[in-house]
Amino acid sequence: MNREKIEKTLFILPTCLFLLAISIFPFIYSVYLSAFQAKLTKMHRKFFIGWENYQILLFEDDVFLTAIQNTFTIAFSSITIEIILGFIMAKIFFEIRHLKISNAIRTISILPIMLTPLCVGLVFLYILNPTLGIFSYIVETFFGLEPIAYLGQPIPAKISIICINSWQWTPFMMILLLAGLMTVPNEQYEAAKIDGANWYHVMTKIEIPSILGFMLLGIVLRLIECIRLFDIIYVTTRGGPGIATEVMAYFTYRTEFRSFQIGTGSASAVIILIISIIVTTIAVTLLRRVERDADFS
Amino acid sequence: MRTSVRKNIILLAFAIFFMLIFILPNLWMLFGSFKDQNAMFSLPPVWIPDFTYIKNFTIMLSQSYMYLLNSLIVTIGSTIVTLIFSLPTAFGLTFFIFRGQNFLADWILSTRMLPPVAAAVPLFILFKYLNLLDSLFALIIVYTAFNIPFAVWVSASFFRRIPKDLIEASRIEGASWFDIFLKIAVPLSKGGIATVAIFVFIFSWNELLIALFFTVSEARTFPIFISAQVSQAQIIWGNVAAATVIQSIPPILLTIFLQKNIVSGLTLGAVKN
Repeated sequence: MNREKIEKTLFILPTCLFLLAISIFPFIYSVYLSAFQAKLTKMHRKFFIGWENYQILLFEDDVFLTAIQNTFTIAFSSITIEIILGFIMAKIFFEIRHLKISNAIRTISILPIMLTPLCVGLVFLYILNPTLGIFSYIVETFFGLEPIAYLGQPIPAKISIICINSWQWTPFMMILLLAGLMTVPNEQYEAAKIDGANWYHVMTKIEIPSILGFMLLGIVLRLIECIRLFDIIYVTTRGGPGIATEVMAYFTYRTEFRSFQIGTGSASAVIILIISIIVTTIAVTLLRRVERDADFS
Repeated sequence: MRTSVRKNIILLAFAIFFMLIFILPNLWMLFGSFKDQNAMFSLPPVWIPDFTYIKNFTIMLSQSYMYLLNSLIVTIGSTIVTLIFSLPTAFGLTFFIFRGQNFLADWILSTRMLPPVAAAVPLFILFKYLNLLDSLFALIIVYTAFNIPFAVWVSASFFRRIPKDLIEASRIEGASWFDIFLKIAVPLSKGGIATVAIFVFIFSWNELLIALFFTVSEARTFPIFISAQVSQAQIIWGNVAAATVIQSIPPILLTIFLQKNIVSGLTLGAVKN
């Protein structure tokens, strides 16, 4: 019996210790650091200042507040676009699923999901080049519109980031919702047909209720990703122009590794952490519930 | 009958339209990688490049093969270490019954949700103290830590498909847990484990933020090399395009492999296909 206990412990304990050391310790240490005024380059000279970093960030630092606001603007806009387009695409692929070619088209459509975010940023940096990029050329020749600096003006830059972000993740929402549509029992469609329901009724009364779990799951998972949005910003706008596309993760990176203000940076990290924990708690509950009450196979 | 053919054609056209939205930007970058600096931005655009022009690739590869090698070592290394830690844990969480089981599973999952940027500075200080900054070893360790929660959850979702009776029967015959894990669970979940490995591989391969914090010169990964190309005053776009194409090859090939299990992986095993 005792041997079995040791054996079981060996299966689980190493991972826990590893996570404690590399994943949990750093977050606790961040909380500790956030109470100091410290420079990464002069770690031995740090001053305890208590809440001051938080006070400055939350009540005085416009850049940080803008970063929070931008993060959520980008998150909500991207996710809305992803849900709507993702649903439309899922529906189309659902309707043509019996066609052989639909498989190939679907596979090609989901390629962006796994692409290196850095590369996604670069692809659009190239395409959206204001004077010589292909996008400007198309807009000018086919629509007669004057090209603008898509990434160089505050509002277009924000819209561009939202579009790039949704471009990469709409396919994810599509396959997730498609998996959802596959679970709708065929009889429900038949019954609706007999009752003479139109497409709108089918959508609102049958489809959306039965894929709601999938949608929520998708929203929460994407929210977690959007909170840590960094790579695309880093390579396209660097938070600019001005602070138009400044987001939380990029702000933290800049404060910590460009200005070396690790006290302030850690406070910002902790705030991101708290926001993530709130979203996570919801996410974990949801993942558990989705997994438990529905048989998706 | 007639109308249903018509309907199919219209839907197919829409599907192809969407596919083009998601593939054309990539194709444009791919074409760009075969252009010289002039053709890259000429107006009107050079639609079809000369595919025998591979200078961008030879330049990039000769400048960056060590970074590519670093990327490969870190990616493969962290994939293996992640599996070594995660598979037994996932097995334990699936088949052992102990107090706090659900709590432990949730705790492991919740570490996946923590933003890496919040761990960067403490880990930086830790590895500086251990004199391991700018080393591939440090990157492997950190990537492993960030990937374990994902790997545990998704592997567990595959282990759960193994019939419980099979495990119990082996227990009664006196097999040790270790034997059951190695001789029954792992072979029966080969497909699932491959899925996990592919995802972990791609996550590590794509990682930028931590590498940005941790590497100075020696241990720079390929994404760091690429991002350095665009922070220069004069961007040589042909080279950048070639580097982007090289960086994108593994994720694209592996996504095609994943196909069936991609939803399952991206939702941490919550959705089965």
